[in-house]
Amino acid sequence: TTTTITTPTNSSTTTAATVCILVDSRCISSSADLVSGLRQHHSVNVHVCSLDSNYFVLSNRMAAERHTLSELAAVQNRKRLVKRVNDLQGLFERACFIVEKDPTKPGEVGRSFQRTLFFEGTLASLVQAGVRLLWSDGVRDSARLLADLAQLEQRKGQAISVPLEVRGQHRQQALQFYLALPGVGYVHALHMVHNFVSVAQFITSSVEAIQKGGGMSRSRAEDTYRCIRYSCDSFLLNTSSAKKKR
Amino acid sequence: MESRALCIAAPPLGHLIALERWSGSAVVENLQGAGVKVVFEKEMGVVDFLLPNRSCVLYVSECDIIAGNAYKRKLVRFRNANSSSVQEVVVVERSRLSEQYFPSLQRFVVLELGLTLLPVSDQREAAQLLSQMVHSTGRGNPFRRRSVSRLYEPQLLLLLQQIPGVGGVKASSLLHSFSSLQELCGAGLPQLEALVGHAAAQQIHTFLHADLV
Repeated sequence: TTTTITTPTNSSTTTAATVCILVDSRCISSSADLVSGLRQHHSVNVHVCSLDSNYFVLSNRMAAERHTLSELAAVQNRKRLVKRVNDLQGLFERACFIVEKDPTKPGEVGRSFQRTLFFEGTLASLVQAGVRLLWSDGVRDSARLLADLAQLEQRKGQAISVPLEVRGQHRQQALQFYLALPGVGYVHALHMVHNFVSVAQFITSSVEAIQKGGGMSRSRAEDTYRCIRYSCDSFLLNTSSAKKKR
Repeated sequence: MESRALCIAAPPLGHLIALERWSGSAVVENLQGAGVKVVFEKEMGVVDFLLPNRSCVLYVSECDIIAGNAYKRKLVRFRNANSSSVQEVVVVERSRLSEQYFPSLQRFVVLELGLTLLPVSDQREAAQLLSQMVHSTGRGNPFRRRSVSRLYEPQLLLLLQQIPGVGGVKASSLLHSFSSLQELCGAGLPQLEALVGHAAAQQIHTFLHADLV
């Protein structure tokens, strides 16, 4: 189930048309302050949906994820971080990490964060891999950065402009089907639900039509096209279904 | 002048090219202490350090930030001077004194210019960061996107299970008979019925062909 939370524009500044940010339903519990900050102080249209992980979709091609300094510095987090970077870069042309200072509990003296060689190495590798890093002092700062990024993407014509509501059981089923396609994210799937007359029309589309109908990049459309026409090998089918049973 | 940066080849592994004015500085001393071989160059345009992975680094010190907006012009020149094939990194001294300027600086560097910004607290920390950037080159980046598997069998099996009435067994038998999504889509109702039975065939056919609009 999805809900849209729209807030009246209460800022007197001349901001552009309201931008839309998709958040994962998990963000509602883990980043409640951030989500309400986005709505109240930045008049962002925050749409809650279920994404594959805890991140923010800022445009057709950009997503951002929050990490604290100590998360990036912890050796035991490496594997999880690598997976997050891979997943995000698989679904988005632009992946951002918002690096937040660790929150201090009231009454606790804020210990300054000690940067280790491992931490510096992680930064160097993230930058080299093309992850955009933004530095935040806390929840309020992060909300501002997310709103700024979404507005920047809007100015570049990449804002999420597809209808967010998916009504009816058949359309919901089609949405889930599109989401299960490799390399297809929530925004692409929304585009596809609204732009293709039927699932069959999508399946028989050309690369250009997929690119246009899915609101995606050319190379992503090419990958999707390849997947539709991919001829399964019966031996590999058996091994992959056997793997599933185990 | 600016185009000079491009004429200088990237340094070999384990080396770093620094602008001559950095000789004797805490950055260079700490870099050498960390096993990085530093080579000096008199003129590199607006670049302070050049790394083996073809990254150009511009260093914005606490003084630059507090002294005013002159460094912004330098940042713009830095962005315009380098071709898109090099990675442009801006290392910023984020200290107690420059802290208040950091948010607007970040907005300018990252959002407006689209450059990478890495804050450090002082030159020693900058050396630590630069040395890791030098040493991580050629080591294989753990975050570098692994080439995506071109074998779609497992994903297609899961994909078909999103169709109402299709579970693991039916998904597998559908792909055994039709091999691709496109062929499945072209299958008529009788063909589907022979394979998965009347009810499921109806559901699959409806799912694929019914209008969504």
